Amino acid sequence: MDKVIRVLISKPGSDGHWRGSVTVSRALADAGMEVIFGGFQSIPEIVETAIQEDVDVIGISIHSMAHMAYAKQLMDLLDEKGMRDEFLVLFGGIIPDEDIPKLLELGVSGVFGPGTMTDEIVEHIRSKIIGRGG
Amino acid sequence: MNDLRKIEEEEKKWMERARQKKERQERFETYSGIPVKAIYTPLDLKDHDYLRDEGFPGFPPFTRGVYPTMYRGSFWTTRQFSGHGTPEETNERWKLLYKEGETGFSAAMDSLTFVGLDPSDPNVEPEVGTDGVPLYCKPAVEALVKDLPIDKVSVAFPIECLTSAPVSAMYFNVYMERGFDLATCKGTTQNDILTMSIGYVQYKSLDPAHLLKLACDLIEWCTADKNVPKWHPINFTTYNYREGGIDAIQELGFGFANAIEHIEHLIERGRKPEEFVDRLAFHLSAHNDFFEEIAKYRAARRIWAKLLRDRYGIEDPKHLGFRYHIQTAGSSLTRQQPMVNIIRTTVQALAAALGGCQSMHTNSYDEAICLPTEESVTLAVRTQLVLKEESRIGNVIDPLGGSYYIEWLTDEIEDRVWKYLDKIEQVGGIVKALETGWIYREMAEAFHKRRRAIETGEERVIGVNCYVSEEKQKVEVFRTNPNAAKIEQERIKKLKAERDNRKIEELLDKLRRVCEREENVMPVVMELMGKGATLYEVCDTYRDVWGEWKQPIVF
Repeated sequence: MDKVIRVLISKPGSDGHWRGSVTVSRALADAGMEVIFGGFQSIPEIVETAIQEDVDVIGISIHSMAHMAYAKQLMDLLDEKGMRDEFLVLFGGIIPDEDIPKLLELGVSGVFGPGTMTDEIVEHIRSKIIGRGG
Repeated sequence: MNDLRKIEEEEKKWMERARQKKERQERFETYSGIPVKAIYTPLDLKDHDYLRDEGFPGFPPFTRGVYPTMYRGSFWTTRQFSGHGTPEETNERWKLLYKEGETGFSAAMDSLTFVGLDPSDPNVEPEVGTDGVPLYCKPAVEALVKDLPIDKVSVAFPIECLTSAPVSAMYFNVYMERGFDLATCKGTTQNDILTMSIGYVQYKSLDPAHLLKLACDLIEWCTADKNVPKWHPINFTTYNYREGGIDAIQELGFGFANAIEHIEHLIERGRKPEEFVDRLAFHLSAHNDFFEEIAKYRAARRIWAKLLRDRYGIEDPKHLGFRYHIQTAGSSLTRQQPMVNIIRTTVQALAAALGGCQSMHTNSYDEAICLPTEESVTLAVRTQLVLKEESRIGNVIDPLGGSYYIEWLTDEIEDRVWKYLDKIEQVGGIVKALETGWIYREMAEAFHKRRRAIETGEERVIGVNCYVSEEKQKVEVFRTNPNAAKIEQERIKKLKAERDNRKIEELLDKLRRVCEREENVMPVVMELMGKGATLYEVCDTYRDVWGEWKQPIVF
């Protein structure tokens, strides 16, 4: 049997727009993934939880326009721990199109804004995780 | 005089003809799931009584409007929720909006202000000014309203219970320092428990009972204690709950249940409803279902008047008026084909105006992408100007009153809201519904339902699940000041160097004792903010005494 994909969904910072994080959590759970809902967490807490919960995917939901700063903090911390390849990192929320290439360059695997069909996220995760042989 | 039997006969004939053509859908319903027929006639209003159910504007039950002259007297206030970067930059934006035709100000505050933090916390430092204006101390509020005619134009602070006392207190102090009397101070503090717990989930929050206590502290101090008698110390912002995907019935249900909780808490404190109810205000959504929204506003006025009269025995009509601001639905906006958002907003604003709102915010077309640019927000203001100045919709009061459909739908919504209120009462009211997580389950269900409706195509969204095009966003992305965190850190540093730190320590100790004894925090918070305390210092005292609360979120 295939290993169940484990996903952590968290919100860094203090922005409280929670609908996206809950909506995506439910959609991924409905698609058979195991979702750990982190809620508000700092970047170090997110990485700590991801390690402890042994997740495959870290999903970051953000609506405050501070996505570049948090993405950099997250990828730097993963690098510091030598764990960049352990996790598939996804971002969702209010993120302008022109920032997407910059996030991908930092090592984020996918960016999903408002109006995304959740199937796209599920497909993305499955293709990448299987691609990694996970 | 209508002959109902004759109408029934004619209706049968019509039905026979109408049945010959297949309808484009199997069933038709409102956004809130109310099934609707093809046509409404006097037969649907058999039990309707004009004077009892509609009456005249300015008279109970206020179905047709809260003021006798409505927009023939004066138009609704154009009030754009606005803020970004630093208080100085927001002040510039407010001046532009005022010049362009805005008639009320509203401060969109950054998430740090919202949760009572400041850039000294590294976890939140990247968000300074990115999603609103930072107001961490009184000098920031001074800069925000500098040179603006705040004695004539009202200012709204959409900030919730945790931070409502210190943010309002900063403004009240600034108002007095500008040489004005608080007796003339007009505006609003949002101060809404549900906005900060289900509309938006608050980081480092307090438990619901203490949030209710803080909300009522501000209401009591402004109204019953007569310190700021013209202020609206609370604005039940059903808009924010609606944005989650709940329907119009739940929107009103949550809003009125929330108001009931506050009224009863204040009665328990020994206050009379007449001392404060006419300063309770609401902020509703203007969503996509045009007629349902209009009927919703009409039903809301009637429910409020009945609720205050029947539940609290208030007879004097001057206390029974339901006053509200509206915001067009941000959640209806799309990042795909963003210019289409201008049209969505216009239709929603038209419904709001036909429904008789007192104040309006129209969203800018780029808000699914970034904070609005000067160009997009100016266009949003001008959308209202076209409605006010060119469309002539303000010439006649409640122009849709008497429409068979609107009257039937108004009655239907009212009926459904009363039933939903009973349901909330059965779970123990709003504070209980938060503590037990019942309301979080209702919200999560709504999120899920709306996602499925869009993904299955049951709800059609142009550019998202139908009429999809490959065109990319062609909008200029608004970026906030990247140095905002540094500027605000300097502002706080300067303040702390100049203020009387011993006095602040003394007052913070006093606040701690006030919190421990569960007394009204407003008098000491007024003094603290006046003497230069920061928002963080006050909110951290609350958190220290009462502890933090983690919302029972489910997905």
